[in-house]
Amino acid sequence: MASAFESLQAQLKKLPGVGFRSAERIALHLLVEKPEQLPALVEALRTAAVAVRRCTRCGQLAEADLCPICADERRDQGLVCVVEHVPDLVALERSGAHRGVYHVLHGKLSPISGVGPEQLNLASLLDRVSRGEVREIILALSNDVEGEATCHYLTSHLPPGGEVKVSRIGFGLPSGGGVLYADSVTLRSALDGRRSYS
Amino acid sequence: MAVSRMRLQRITLQHFRNLAAAKVEFGGARHFLVGPNGQGKSNLLEAVGLLTALRSFRTSDARVLIAHGQAEAAVACEVEHERSGATRVELRLRPGGKEVVVDGVAVTRLADYLGQFPTVVLSSQDQQLVRGAPGLRRRWLDLTLAATDPSYLRLLQAYHRALAERNALLRRGAAVAELAAFERPMAAAAAPLVAARAAGLEHLAAQLARAYSQLAMGASVPESAGFAYAANGAKHVVVAAKAGGAGSPVAPPIPSAMPAGLQGAKEADWLARWEASRARDLQMRTTMTGPHRDDVDFTLEGRPAVDVGSEGQQRSLVLALRVAQAHWFQEHLGVAPLILADDVLGELDPGRRERFWAALTPGWQVIATGTSLPTDEPRAWQVTQVEAGRFQPVAADGRSAL
Repeated sequence: MASAFESLQAQLKKLPGVGFRSAERIALHLLVEKPEQLPALVEALRTAAVAVRRCTRCGQLAEADLCPICADERRDQGLVCVVEHVPDLVALERSGAHRGVYHVLHGKLSPISGVGPEQLNLASLLDRVSRGEVREIILALSNDVEGEATCHYLTSHLPPGGEVKVSRIGFGLPSGGGVLYADSVTLRSALDGRRSYS
Repeated sequence: MAVSRMRLQRITLQHFRNLAAAKVEFGGARHFLVGPNGQGKSNLLEAVGLLTALRSFRTSDARVLIAHGQAEAAVACEVEHERSGATRVELRLRPGGKEVVVDGVAVTRLADYLGQFPTVVLSSQDQQLVRGAPGLRRRWLDLTLAATDPSYLRLLQAYHRALAERNALLRRGAAVAELAAFERPMAAAAAPLVAARAAGLEHLAAQLARAYSQLAMGASVPESAGFAYAANGAKHVVVAAKAGGAGSPVAPPIPSAMPAGLQGAKEADWLARWEASRARDLQMRTTMTGPHRDDVDFTLEGRPAVDVGSEGQQRSLVLALRVAQAHWFQEHLGVAPLILADDVLGELDPGRRERFWAALTPGWQVIATGTSLPTDEPRAWQVTQVEAGRFQPVAADGRSAL
C-alpha cells in the first residue's frame, strides 16, 4: 500500500469519531471512488484554516474579529449566555429564544481530565465583566458535577455586590413530552424546578 | 403495597469464570446446588446475584468474571414476575464495561434498572461485615439504599464524582478557588446523602431487631440488635429503630438523641468543614473527611457487636442483617426478593437453621449451595448436582433424573 495513502488514513483516524475502518473508507472514497470531490474538499480546508478563528469577544467561530452575533447591534450585548461548546450555542440559536449574546468556554472544569481555569475561555469573560459590558449572565452549562463546579468558579470571580445578575437555565421535561416516559432523575429535577401556576 | 412474587426460571451462562457454558432450570421455591468445592456452584450463584445491581458479591473487578482468554462473558436470566410477567435479562461483560438488555431493550441508565430484581446474598464472607473494614459496611448500606431509591444512587454518583475531582486538585496542589468550586457539588450531595443514610438505618434497625430476635431465640432472652452510625466524622451514635415502623422490634428501641451535626448537617456545614480542612487535605493529598468515611457498626444492646458479641451472636447478627435487607427490599420494591445462600446453611446448627427458615417469608425463592444436602428436609429441595462446571438435575430420591 502506498505510504501517502497510509499517511492520509492516519491523519483521518486522528479526527473525533473516526476509527481505523472509517478512516480507510473515507480515504478510499476520496481517492478512488469519488476523486472529483477531492479538490473542493482540499480548497475548503485550506480556506477555512486561514479564515476561521475565534471571536475575540465571545470565543465563538468567526471570520472577522467579531462573530456575527457579537457584531449584531440589534442583539442585547449586556445579556450574556455562557455555554460549554460551540454546538451548544448553535442549538440555542436554532431555538431563537435568546436575544442576547454568548460566551463559549470551550469546556468545563475537570481536574481529572486536566482541565483547569487556564484551559477555558474564562479570563476573557471576566474581562468583559470588568469593562462593564455585562449586565446579566445566563449559565447554560450542563447540570453535572463539572458543570456545577464551573458555574460556581465563574460566579465566585464576579465582582461582589450583585452588579451582574446571574441565573441558571432550568432542567426538566422536554416540551411535548409526558411525565410517563421521563426517567426518574429528570422528573426529580423537573419537580425541584417547578414554578407557581396562575 | 401488594407484593409480587418473583421466580428465577432459568439461567444461561457463557464464559463466566470457569463455566464455559451452562444452563440451569429453577422455577421451584427452593433449589439446592450440591457438589464438592471448586466445581462452579458459587460462580453460578454469583451470576444470579448480578441481576440486582450488576455488581458481584465476590469482587469489585468485573474483569475476573470473564473466563481466561475470552473476549466477553454472557449471562441470561429468565425471571417470572407474578405481576409483570416474564422478563429476559441479558448481561454482557467485557473488559471495557457492561451491557444490559432487558426484553430486547438496552438499558442505558443504571438508575432505570435498579430495584427490579432484588436478590439477597448470604455468603461465608458475610462475617467480615461485622469484623472487617468500614468500607464493607458502607458498601452494604449503599447497595441496599441505592437498589430501592434511584435518587440515592444519583446522589452517591454525584458525590463520588465531585470527590474524585477534588482529590485530583489536591494531588496537584491546586488553588483554593478551584477546590471551593468542587466542594459545592460535593456538599450539595453530601447533606441529603447522610440524611438518607440515617433515615434508612433507622428503618432498617427495626427490621434488623426483629430478625435478630427471631434468629437468636434459642438463647433464652435475645439481645436487641441495632446499628450505630458515625457520620460526618462524629462518634458512633446508636440508631433507634423507628417506632411504629414495619415490624416493631421485640425489644424496646434504645432511646437516643441524634446530635446536631449528624443527620442535621446542612450543605453550609459541609462547605465550612471542607474549607477548614483544605490545608490538611492538601498536605495529605486527599479528602480526609466526608460521607465517604462514614461508618456503620452493628450493635448488641447498644454496644459494638465486634467487641461484645460471641461467635454465635455474630453469626446470628449477620444472618439477621440479610433477612432485614430482604424485608427492606420487599417493602420498598413490592417484589419478593430472591435469597441466594452460598455455602452458609451447612455451617448453621439445626436450631438456628430452623429459625432462619422461620424468619423468611414463605414464597421467597431460595437458591442455596453446599457440599452436601441439608439433612433435616432433603425433600423440600429441588436438587442439582454440580461437577466440573456441569449441572445435572437430580430426582428427589437421589438418583439422577436423566
